[in-house]
Amino acid sequence: MGNLKLALFLAYKSIFKGNRWALVLIVLVMSLSFANLLMIPSILSGVTNTLNQQQIDTLYGNVVVDPPQTEYYLNHASLIERQLKQIPGVVGVSSRLNSSAFVEYEWKEKSSQSDKGKSGTWSVIGIDPAQEVNVTTIHERIIQGSYLDSNDRDEIIIGVEIAGGDRAQTAEFLTLQGVGVGDKVRVTYPNGVQREYRVKGIFQAKEMFQADRSAFVTKAEMASVMGRTVYSDRASQILVRTGPEVSEGQVIRDINSLGIDVEVRQWSEYGGLGGLVSSFNVIAALISTIGLGVAGVVMFIVIYINVISKRRQIGILRAIGINRRIIIGAYLIQAVFYAVLGIVFGGLVFGFGIQPYFELHPLDLPLGEMSLMVETSTLNSSVLGLLAAAILAGLIPVTHITRQRIIEAIWGN
Amino acid sequence: MGKLNQIIFVENLHKTYGHGPSATHALKGIDLTVETGEFVAIMGRSGSGKSTLLHILGLLDMPTSGGVLIEQKNVLKLTEREKAKFRLEKLGYVFQEYSLLPEMTILENVYVPAVCLSRENDYRKRASELLEIVGLGERLKHYPNQVSGGEQQRASIARALINQPKILFADEPTASLDITSASVVLELFKKLNKEMGQTIVMVTHEPDDEKYVDRVVWLKDGLVDAVTHTIQRQ
Repeated sequence: MGNLKLALFLAYKSIFKGNRWALVLIVLVMSLSFANLLMIPSILSGVTNTLNQQQIDTLYGNVVVDPPQTEYYLNHASLIERQLKQIPGVVGVSSRLNSSAFVEYEWKEKSSQSDKGKSGTWSVIGIDPAQEVNVTTIHERIIQGSYLDSNDRDEIIIGVEIAGGDRAQTAEFLTLQGVGVGDKVRVTYPNGVQREYRVKGIFQAKEMFQADRSAFVTKAEMASVMGRTVYSDRASQILVRTGPEVSEGQVIRDINSLGIDVEVRQWSEYGGLGGLVSSFNVIAALISTIGLGVAGVVMFIVIYINVISKRRQIGILRAIGINRRIIIGAYLIQAVFYAVLGIVFGGLVFGFGIQPYFELHPLDLPLGEMSLMVETSTLNSSVLGLLAAAILAGLIPVTHITRQRIIEAIWGN
Repeated sequence: MGKLNQIIFVENLHKTYGHGPSATHALKGIDLTVETGEFVAIMGRSGSGKSTLLHILGLLDMPTSGGVLIEQKNVLKLTEREKAKFRLEKLGYVFQEYSLLPEMTILENVYVPAVCLSRENDYRKRASELLEIVGLGERLKHYPNQVSGGEQQRASIARALINQPKILFADEPTASLDITSASVVLELFKKLNKEMGQTIVMVTHEPDDEKYVDRVVWLKDGLVDAVTHTIQRQ
């Protein structure tokens, strides 16, 4: 008990009565190291989160109701929609008729049938605009023109990667090369039906691989293309949006318990980002390990210099009979104290400075708007990592010095 | 081997630094005894081996060969941990230069060695009393840089006495002090020796210090050259 008391006393004196600049410097290094340990994984988690949220917001909702495996379409879609809306936690339901189509711009200027001109094949989806706003955020992502109305029949909204132009990321020749709002496009469906639509709006969902390479018409228009009498109450799939704190798994179980002959999947089964997320996790782990190593070395240097500068004092303490374990204990307590202070200050700077800043001013990346996201596992590993690095950084030099001959430690012989 | 009243018994003590042709033989076979309650000065020219001898007696260094008994105990066979405990409980050490810890007050510096030995918090009281004895009763809350060199050295003496050591070692304790401060420190040693029966072994190179001690052991080239008993012992 006396040993612990003395170790605590020595640590207290060294921290609070020692060089204040050394204390400030060490805590600053610890704080920055901790913030750095949180930063990189948080950026990658933020990117992953952005990508995942984009999948939900622009492509799938939270839950996707598909036809049974033997069918192409869901029959009696309106009845299923009504049933889905009754499920607790469901905030929006949107049935879609999906197709692909050959889309052309300025087709009259083509020199021959074989001239590709400004054209391409993209996904065209029939939606009920009023329902869709409850599920996806396409309506919020219109960058030119306006969103569809339920009564629109000869109008289309197209993704920015189809339209082309300055905002598109895709190579110009793979787009319609700058179609604008009010321009006419000709759409040829797989069944041979050809329609001309006025471009009502161009959207940029910032999900450039799928959502921004899609076009939307009203479901009524798509049904008329496919065959009104048969397709008016059919759907290729129904997207379901759940509330913010609602368990997607529970909603899926509730849908399955309805006894409808459908396939129900969570959005992530479509998302296909598993590999990307795993890659990010590996990169985050690598960067964190390197960051921890760098933080450890920096802390080691700072603490080492601090301990070395007290070599004579350590020698005197040993000379007057203080057990080296007490001295090591005192420096370990100091190292842990510095680390805890670094974690607290670094955490405060990150939690109340950096993270809120990026929430208010997200990074506008081509992938989407990205803010930082700290996962509990990142926080835990950063705290433990910094503590471990600090303990090692304190333990090694003080162990080394307390193993020196006492007279060497005091007089440096 | 040592007699019962011999608190220190040294036999054929050798200390060599380095190896081969460049080796330095600091001690070449010292034989020495110190009796309980004695005030012994070890004197000699620079390089005679007096500090080396004191370091070994104070368990701060190990000899190359030879034997050292303190209170009939072969202290050279102790482990590092046992030596630390022995130093803490049985020995007091006053260094040549100011050796107080700058982050602690004078009072704290004095009671530090007692914290892990005392079951009660009486070490503060003991430290205050010792500081009164050495004339620093008004300096308890001062930091080392706020007092003079002589006062620092007196505080070091108080620290060395806090655990009531059997032997007090002093390594040229007045070397960094002016004449007045030096005489205050030496008078203090003399007082501790005469009034409290404290055994003191002091290394010094000042011939005038002879008058304060019972016996002088003269070293020359790593060997005991002469032993002189002063008038007060005789």
